Amino acid sequence: MLNSVIAGLTSGGVYALLGLCVVLTYRLVAVVNFAMAAVGSMGAFVMVSLTDTGLNAWLALLVGAVAGAALAALLGAVLVRWFGEHDERTKAAVTVGVYVALMAIGLRLFGNTTSGARRFPAPFDAPAFTVGSVVVPQSVLVSLAFAVLITVGVGLLLGRTRVGLRLQALSERPSTAQVVGIPAPRLAVAVWAAIGAISTLVIVLVAPRLGGDFSTLGKLINTALAVAMLGAFRSLPLTLAGGVILGLLEGLSASLEAIQQYRGIVPFLVILVLLWWRSRGEVWDTAHSR
Amino acid sequence: MKRSQFAAVTAAAALALAATACSSDGGGTDGPIKVGAINGVTGLFQTPEVPQAVKAVFDEVNAAGGINGRKIEFISKDDAMNPQRSTEAAKELIDSEEVVALVGSSSAVDCGLNRATYGKAGIVSIPAVGVDPACFTSPNIAPVNPGPFKLLTAMLYYASETLKHDKVCMFYTVLPGSGGGIDTAIKEWTDITGKQLALKDTSVGEGDPTPYLVKAKAAGCQAILYNAQVGPWFAQAKTQGMQDVDIIMGANSYTDANAEVIPEGMNAYSGTEWQPYTDETLPGNERWAKVVGGNKIQKTAFSQGAVMSADVFVEVLKTIKGDITRESVTKAFKEMQPIEYPMVGTPWVFGPGDTHNPIEGSRFVKVENRKWTVLPEGFIVPGKK
Repeated sequence: MLNSVIAGLTSGGVYALLGLCVVLTYRLVAVVNFAMAAVGSMGAFVMVSLTDTGLNAWLALLVGAVAGAALAALLGAVLVRWFGEHDERTKAAVTVGVYVALMAIGLRLFGNTTSGARRFPAPFDAPAFTVGSVVVPQSVLVSLAFAVLITVGVGLLLGRTRVGLRLQALSERPSTAQVVGIPAPRLAVAVWAAIGAISTLVIVLVAPRLGGDFSTLGKLINTALAVAMLGAFRSLPLTLAGGVILGLLEGLSASLEAIQQYRGIVPFLVILVLLWWRSRGEVWDTAHSR
Repeated sequence: MKRSQFAAVTAAAALALAATACSSDGGGTDGPIKVGAINGVTGLFQTPEVPQAVKAVFDEVNAAGGINGRKIEFISKDDAMNPQRSTEAAKELIDSEEVVALVGSSSAVDCGLNRATYGKAGIVSIPAVGVDPACFTSPNIAPVNPGPFKLLTAMLYYASETLKHDKVCMFYTVLPGSGGGIDTAIKEWTDITGKQLALKDTSVGEGDPTPYLVKAKAAGCQAILYNAQVGPWFAQAKTQGMQDVDIIMGANSYTDANAEVIPEGMNAYSGTEWQPYTDETLPGNERWAKVVGGNKIQKTAFSQGAVMSADVFVEVLKTIKGDITRESVTKAFKEMQPIEYPMVGTPWVFGPGDTHNPIEGSRFVKVENRKWTVLPEGFIVPGKK
């Protein structure tokens, strides 16, 4: 059992990365982005389509990231231009629509689970060290490092820089920000593009562990949202911890015979319990503010 | 591409018209023999090559004069894996089109939803690909593939008897409703060989496979039967140093794309339902390659099932004396003699029973240098070979 738990922990980094992308989007542009993984997958599939033709992997990664950025920027532009004044729920609904559309297009373009599996480059597959009987590959350390980099980097950007301040203003009061002279639409689209590029990198990094076809990768949004929920859509360090906790829970549930059948619903259970926990807090708050 | 297809269709239509005109003055015709099929063409389960291949076989029969001078008219309906569309398609084919039989269906939902309809209408269905368990347990349905359960018995038999492993483990993802079929398949293997699984886990799903791989390592599995997502499983198995384990996959994993994603050094096998399609020189495959190749249809295992289902249908149709109606076709299938078809391990027969799973056994392929290679043993039929 201990080995299964350790094995679960090794996937913490990739889960954290997925969750961080969602929280990042929410913090910077105040949108719960259901299309995050699908957009990243589009970028990632542009990349593997290029490596399949023999292009250098790093160059292909760059092109893929640019494609992911362009797609995200387009989505961002639509949201800013036509839904700028709408509330969060409407914006989230728009991203759900985009998610459904992207999944259908991806299925058509890149095939299903059996016919559309692609070989993603896995440069960090060599073993780093062994714990118990679990071999820990370098990729685990790379994912964790990338997750920490995002957590610390974005924390610094938001808290210590002028751009960060503007971004915060933008995400909390977009119209007020525009009134005081922040070029809101342009800045927002730029942020969306950056998020698209990061999502692409994250999907490329998690693909060797979590799936090589478009629909599986696009559906990783479920896991991402569960992890983001653990960080309450706000705290980057808590999201990072959330990814590790989810991996641990999965490892644990795989090793216990009684609950292993329900391993797939662990992310949903996490979402459910946390929603209940948070709504409990809200009821408390409402009761006391009167 | 589009234009040439259109030209081909027009030419075929003109040919068909001309042929009908000729045969009608031969007398004795009663319009075309209508045959239906329900195929997943769009949606999550896509098999567009199946209706194309079935039609190609019927076109060939029609070009040679049809059956007793009557042409076969093939009507395929796309159900998009949508239950409502599937039931509507069955009703339409049976009531409006008045087809005499269903031949070459390939849908993930057809059998379970429409088995009662077929029973009531007294019509037989010979699917090209039986997907859900109901395809193998219904009185009026007899697919031309072994299906997931007979295949599982063959995979277990291959692991324990051909590869001679003592510790055979199973890591499966199970669809609702097929757990019972899996237990029956394992029991069949146990009854033949007297062996038990070292470890059985049917909870594999999406997500990181590492916890399962670690479990398999701890149990000392020498062979693993596996049917879920291919890429991450093999990538992580390699990381965990499981190069000495024989991993045997189900027929759903036997695709070119999957061979590409399995890293070098791993022992990856797959059971197949028909002669492996990647080698066109195998017995029975020449005919299939000619039919699909000649019509520029995608070469897949499913298109083999399509050609086979159409072929056995035509063969049974030829034995019917007198009028070809739904009743006479159903009667002919219930009373037919087994047909030896070289593309599968056992003879195909419909027969009178309440359940039909006539094809047993599997031929195995192995990944070498990111390509499937056919193994020399031939068809492995549990208890026989």
